[in-house]
Amino acid sequence: MSLWVDQYRPRSLEELHYHHELSNRLRSLASSGDFPHMLFYGPSGAGKKTRITCTLKKLFGPGVEKLKIDQRIFLSPSKRKLEVNIVQSNFHIEITPSEAGNYDRVVIQELLKEIAQTQQVDLNAKQRFKVVIINEADSLSRDAQAALRRTMEKYMSNMRIILCANSTSRLIAPIKSRCLLMRVAAPNAEDMQTVMQHVSKRVGFDLPPDVALKIIEDSGGNLRKAILCLEALKMQSPDLSGALTIAKPDWETYCHKVADLIISEQSPARVMEVRQKFYELLSHCIPPATILKTVADRVVERVDDAIKADVMHWAAIYEVRMRIGNKKIYHLEAWVVKVMSLYKHFFYGMDLTEFD
Amino acid sequence: MPHKLSQSSTSSTKTGKTASQKRTTLRLEPSTANTKRINPMTAFVNASAPRTTSSSSSKSKGKGKEVVKALSPVVMNQEINQQESYQLWADLYEPKSEAELAVHVRKVDDVRNWLREAFEGGPSGKLRKYRRLLVLTGPTGTAKSSTIRVLSNEMGFEILDWKSPAGDAFANAELDSISSDSWVSDETTFTKFRLFLERASRCQNVFKTTSTPSSSSSPSSSSSKNPNLAPQRRIILLEDLPNILHASIRSQFHDVIRSLVENADPDPVPIIIIISDSGMRGEAGDERLASGAWGRELDGAVDIRNVLPKDVLHGPYAREIKFNPIAPTLLKKALQALLKRHFASSSRKSPITGQMLDTVVNSANGDIRSAIMALQFACIRHGSGRKSKGADSSQVLVESITRREQSLALFHLMGKVLYNKRKGDPPPPSASAKDIARDQELDKTLRDPPALPPYLSEHDRKASRVDVNTIYADSPIDSSLFSLYLHHNYTQFCGDVDECDGVAEWLSWADSSGGEAWYQINPYQFHLLALGTLHSLPTPVPRLSQRVCKPVFFENLSKEKKGWEGVRDVRSWIIDQNSSGSDDGGWNISTWTPTAIATELGGVFRARDVAINQSLGLSTSRRMPSISSIPSTHQTFSHLKFVYPKSDNRRSLGGQALDEEDADALSSDGAMIEEQQEMGMWQDGISNNGGIGDPERRVNVADAGGWLESDDIESF
Repeated sequence: MSLWVDQYRPRSLEELHYHHELSNRLRSLASSGDFPHMLFYGPSGAGKKTRITCTLKKLFGPGVEKLKIDQRIFLSPSKRKLEVNIVQSNFHIEITPSEAGNYDRVVIQELLKEIAQTQQVDLNAKQRFKVVIINEADSLSRDAQAALRRTMEKYMSNMRIILCANSTSRLIAPIKSRCLLMRVAAPNAEDMQTVMQHVSKRVGFDLPPDVALKIIEDSGGNLRKAILCLEALKMQSPDLSGALTIAKPDWETYCHKVADLIISEQSPARVMEVRQKFYELLSHCIPPATILKTVADRVVERVDDAIKADVMHWAAIYEVRMRIGNKKIYHLEAWVVKVMSLYKHFFYGMDLTEFD
Repeated sequence: MPHKLSQSSTSSTKTGKTASQKRTTLRLEPSTANTKRINPMTAFVNASAPRTTSSSSSKSKGKGKEVVKALSPVVMNQEINQQESYQLWADLYEPKSEAELAVHVRKVDDVRNWLREAFEGGPSGKLRKYRRLLVLTGPTGTAKSSTIRVLSNEMGFEILDWKSPAGDAFANAELDSISSDSWVSDETTFTKFRLFLERASRCQNVFKTTSTPSSSSSPSSSSSKNPNLAPQRRIILLEDLPNILHASIRSQFHDVIRSLVENADPDPVPIIIIISDSGMRGEAGDERLASGAWGRELDGAVDIRNVLPKDVLHGPYAREIKFNPIAPTLLKKALQALLKRHFASSSRKSPITGQMLDTVVNSANGDIRSAIMALQFACIRHGSGRKSKGADSSQVLVESITRREQSLALFHLMGKVLYNKRKGDPPPPSASAKDIARDQELDKTLRDPPALPPYLSEHDRKASRVDVNTIYADSPIDSSLFSLYLHHNYTQFCGDVDECDGVAEWLSWADSSGGEAWYQINPYQFHLLALGTLHSLPTPVPRLSQRVCKPVFFENLSKEKKGWEGVRDVRSWIIDQNSSGSDDGGWNISTWTPTAIATELGGVFRARDVAINQSLGLSTSRRMPSISSIPSTHQTFSHLKFVYPKSDNRRSLGGQALDEEDADALSSDGAMIEEQQEMGMWQDGISNNGGIGDPERRVNVADAGGWLESDDIESF
């Protein structure tokens, strides 16, 4: 069993449904024989990974689709064993650094060194180099990025690196400057409509455009989310008439309700309740930054224009603190309290200074 | 006040006179060489005597004559009953019977029952197999060893005690160098230890085959059997453990213990390990935690989790009995009895007043050894300090003797910070007159801060009654745990959201101040948090019968851990799927990173569950494995039910309430700290350390919220 997202994923650059200009560029890059390091960035669900695999296929031919999964064991400096799953073909290798946690530097260094020092032995290979794909590159630690920067220059002769990230802001400048930046923007509504119609045709059912539109609106440009949602909806109500909420992941609905809680009452006791909810969310493995973003989006939707900017301003500040700090819940809660305080003062039409 | 003072001063001078005739002070003199061994403690008693006189004389500056007078009797009274002074009271008056033990009767019973079962096998006779290892834990000076000794007397068993040979080796260093073929020096300490354990557990003592119960009251059962035929009962007592902080020695130690405990000896010798808790507190641990990189390897504390391997600790053979700090009443009774015994032999009057005794008891924190030491020291000093000025100075004296790190109970620490008392606050209705007087006394010493300029007037506060430096020094917890406690409890003490905002902002700021690496962590976290909280809370805090609770942070953390385990299960399932059926390309593995699985697959999985349940006629319990082989652990992250808070005025805080009698706050915090460390360890290896939980476990997380009520998602 596999999901529609994976099953009907385009496999070559020609099959891609949108961003044709980008596809053309990638095609010519892959056939030029002078392939640079690359950095694909854009929001999640925009099609970065799809484009990377398509490019690889263009580079190396269908052999690149023969994947095997290795479990490799690395030794951390303190002699702890790290098991990391590595997906690889004869021509490329993929790493997700978040799997290695704090030791991503070790893992990246070891792997890259190993690949860089082995020559491509397959004489039929189209390219002399191997490709290393680093997923979630923006979660790489500073150390790992610094380590990467040197390796990228040193082993240029037999290795190329493709980074895949949501945003370039968390990558250090030296890395950005060593890569060709490829922005994969989120598809617009029409693009998504075409893709979803395509998927439903391949699956073999008729997708009413209004249902598709509803899903598209809800997914906010995340195509993967839209297709997953479609599949879940189809699974539960075969005639696609059910409410969208049944198809969405629980945590999203949950986050929206938390936002409603914040707006409906502003009191210390409510802070306590919201904290409880945050704990629940966190214990369901939802990344704190995602929680903050989802809740903040929802809050912004519901509050008055006058404080929208402030709400987001504080969300940004606490997100940064969350990244540096240790205990995520403090920052989530601090934001909630801040928003409550803002909202309350706005609601009563007075400012903090009037208390004096 | 003044007449009281004079009265007691005469009494004290009287005692001073009587004491001067039979002085207990000593001087350093060659006679120390006569003692067999120099005990550092008694050596200190020797040396301290002249020093104490000089220090006490220096207190009364300007009275030169007095100084001479004070010194002269010391020089004169050289012939003293040395024997008494050489021995510490703690050794001299070691309890010989249960009646003398200051331990709670039930605790002694626990130990006795265990020992009885270990020797006789309990009522069924089969328990003996499982009574192999007893671990006594507790703070220092809670009579753990004494309990064993007393019971040994009472029940008539022999204690095989391991003494680390390190000291002897140094003492015999010269001997060894002369007789260089001494085989002892070839062995490492640990080998000796292992040999000791092996011999002790197997061999009988050659010299003491006649098992004569030494106590007067013959033990209950062995009199019925023939004592000469029955082997002498023995236990192995390990107080002086090898250096288990060294990783390799620890693993060796674990192996030895494990093999001893698990071998099927028909006649096992029970092992008793005594571990004194040392307070676990320190910013260092905090920092390491923050780094997340160094786990327990560098952990410097000896506690039961280090000493015993996990499988033994949780296995059937080991049992832990925790000793609590000795209750003040028991302690006082024991000290009084001791004083009576001591001063009954010599016809002197006890120089210890009831008030002094109280001070000693209070400052001992349930540590009877330190209390006895303090008493002995007080008696010595009192003897020499002639010019002590009455009760007041004797009080000062006792306080200076008993001064040690007084730990502030967690409950009081949180109360101090969260109630935010400031100068001139009206006393709470429950306060006693004494408390009010004390507060007023304190207020007099507090100076008001200089007035702030008008534009800062919102930050104007009265002087706080809380001295942050003091509570920092006395705090039993480190700043990280402190912040968790604050975080969990502050909302109850806030009147409205703006005050919450202040505290939350400080918590957030302090948590993120400093840098990402452990060595950049802010060393002033504790102060920042305490001061920030005090500044933000209302004054006075309205008393609404708030209850300080333990933070639920770690429970949620372990839930999160479980959730990630679920994610890992799903991920390995996806990988399996891919490697087995490669028909339509299968899953695109590299897309499904753990985070993506956690955030995006939830909906599909839930939908699939629902669909399958529908097809099976809503039977949740049985599911056809052929249709869905998704590991059921996915529910740990995909199922999340929203429960609306009850509109009840008594809102649930969650977490266990702290109370004043929370004596083992520290030990439970120890557990927390361990969890914290686990968190650190776990953070660095989210996906790699195995321990995949029971896949059948279906955690209905919504239940954990505590207030499960109507949970209709669509109702909002």
